[in-house]
Amino acid sequence: MTRGLFPTQEIGSLAKPRWQILGQRSEALDAPAKEELANWDTRVGFAADARQVRDALLGGRPKDTSPDAVRDLGALFGLRFLETVGLDRVYDGEARRIEMYEYPIRQMRGFRFGGHVRSWDNKYYLKATVTDEVRLDHPYHVEEFDFVQRHARAEPKLPITGPYTLADWSYNEHYLARQPGWKGRAARRAAQKEFVVDIARRAIRPTLSALIDHGCRVIQIDEPAAGTHPDEAGIVVDGFNAATEGLDAEFTMHICYSNYADLLPTLLEAKRCRQWAWEFANRDSEGHDGYAVLKVLAEYGDTRDVGLGAVDVHRDTVETPEVVADRIRRAAKYLGDPNRIWVNPDCGLRTRSLSVARAKLESVVKGAALARADFENPRR
Amino acid sequence: MIVRTGLTGPFPRSEALVSATRDLDRGRTSAEAVEELFERTEKEIVALERRLGFDETTGGYLRWQDLYRPFAETWEGFTVGPLTRWLETNTFYRQPILLAPPGRTPGAIAARLPPPLRTAPGSARVVLPGPYSFSVMLENRSGETEPALIHRLGRLLGEEVKELRGLGFSTFLFSEPQLVVRPPEGPRAEAVIAGYRAIGTGLDGGTSIVWTYGADALPAFPLLDRLPVSVVGVDLAETEVEHLPAGPSRVGLGLGVVDPRTTLEEDPAEVARVVRAAQTRRHPSAIWLGPGAPLDLLPWEPATRKLHVLPAVRRALTEGSP
Repeated sequence: MTRGLFPTQEIGSLAKPRWQILGQRSEALDAPAKEELANWDTRVGFAADARQVRDALLGGRPKDTSPDAVRDLGALFGLRFLETVGLDRVYDGEARRIEMYEYPIRQMRGFRFGGHVRSWDNKYYLKATVTDEVRLDHPYHVEEFDFVQRHARAEPKLPITGPYTLADWSYNEHYLARQPGWKGRAARRAAQKEFVVDIARRAIRPTLSALIDHGCRVIQIDEPAAGTHPDEAGIVVDGFNAATEGLDAEFTMHICYSNYADLLPTLLEAKRCRQWAWEFANRDSEGHDGYAVLKVLAEYGDTRDVGLGAVDVHRDTVETPEVVADRIRRAAKYLGDPNRIWVNPDCGLRTRSLSVARAKLESVVKGAALARADFENPRR
Repeated sequence: MIVRTGLTGPFPRSEALVSATRDLDRGRTSAEAVEELFERTEKEIVALERRLGFDETTGGYLRWQDLYRPFAETWEGFTVGPLTRWLETNTFYRQPILLAPPGRTPGAIAARLPPPLRTAPGSARVVLPGPYSFSVMLENRSGETEPALIHRLGRLLGEEVKELRGLGFSTFLFSEPQLVVRPPEGPRAEAVIAGYRAIGTGLDGGTSIVWTYGADALPAFPLLDRLPVSVVGVDLAETEVEHLPAGPSRVGLGLGVVDPRTTLEEDPAEVARVVRAAQTRRHPSAIWLGPGAPLDLLPWEPATRKLHVLPAVRRALTEGSP
């Protein structure tokens, strides 16, 4: 596929629309939810193929449809929301997913959920313990990908939680127990490596293989935990390589909120990774160039594509297209090659309202166009 | 061998408290109902600590949203900042932002200690942020230099300790992960010593424990050995006993022998072997056993289960079994 400079892509999840949340519970929509559904349908035209579901929800007859049909409509909304902004690569806003840890773990055997851990304040998450060898019940995300592929007008890119993150966010009992003697630093490290590689080989790789068999060509492996233990970058790489071994697709690796320089050069051993999709905008401020870290990639001679986080997903302030274009120009200078840059938000936009998310994505697309024009017509 | 046991930080909330605090945020229950459950659960933790023979009780510090929040909310000069990752974990705290030189508010921290501790201060273990980690974990916009800030936080914590001593509290644990995660050097290291000296002035014969975790403590030992405190604790999930500096040590040796990063229960015999090896190397005045890092990295049930290893290890060390 031939593309111009600075193609654009999404990175992860969008906020769930209120109408989807209520509709999946078979609850009647309140006035704000009805307004949201009607307005976004007018703006992005997502319900054309699902009139019956839309009319049931707007007509106050949630029982005339089903939670599954509402979920499908949510996926269509996510897809059209991203496509109509003008992104080159899209998914469904992860409309069917609640979070990125519990669902994949529940598709596997060998884990036991043992209670809630506080994430912060009064927010908690369920954390599982691996108590036996990891086994996959059945490949996951396949049906949701089939749906996206059937309806997508732009190129689909599937996000999936990586093996290192799934292991790091779990308690390691089974693999640690196999280590002899005191369970200190060395034993923990060895057990973590076994655990990560087992998840990669036994669960992630078969899932990726099934997705590829269904036509999935671009797969983003999400490793947000990679940055929390820079000294385990080698294990992140082991997991990535084991998960993708012998598979043919365009694999990208998304990491965020990390000091990337600490992960290099070890991370560069991820053999089949074709793009680093990283967050930068969050750390880019007056007096601090958030993109300067890209020089390190250039210094190591790495020539892979970069998914450039060009808008901050943690702030409501919407970056102008000019700000995005400036960030792209700086990145191109540091990398020494504009052809390797994809433009995207730092991370998933689920913590922002749909209006803010939309405005930020519009800036991504317009900013990429501005930068493209500069590079293609430098004297203009 | 003198062996003491106790918690070294917050305990997890029970599943009932998880539900209740979630419901409170969603407007599905009342603040009074949640308060009642907090009180009941704190008493349950104190009862568990006594049943396990711990030398002091903590009540679990269940209401504190994070270790720094009571200070960020009540001390002068602070505001509560953004969610920030808690060390190398998938949990977060709200970073205190220091806008001006800090000042303490008399009575504010004492009022936020778990109620069961306030009624029996003599048997309580007060858990406080250590001045160095506090200085690293906050965002300093006050204009004060880092060494000056460390020293000032030490002085303020010393005043806090003095006030709490007046209320009958006598054992204070200072949570200091950053002493080993980012060991201070030069003027910052001297400021840490000055900070603990200031804390010592308020101590009046009480016990001060510095508890480190989150990284290998060995590189920090030249400083840890100089701290004017009663006990220095290290996390044995990170620190290898065979490399501990040789003793004799003038202070108690804290050993984090329960690892909250795994639900796997420690083997008391194996723990006892490692503790004996540490004792042989350091010859401390006493051994203080506890969780390596705060147990609230675990859910309630495995945290409760894993605590039982502490009395078992103490028995093994003092009675020669298992």
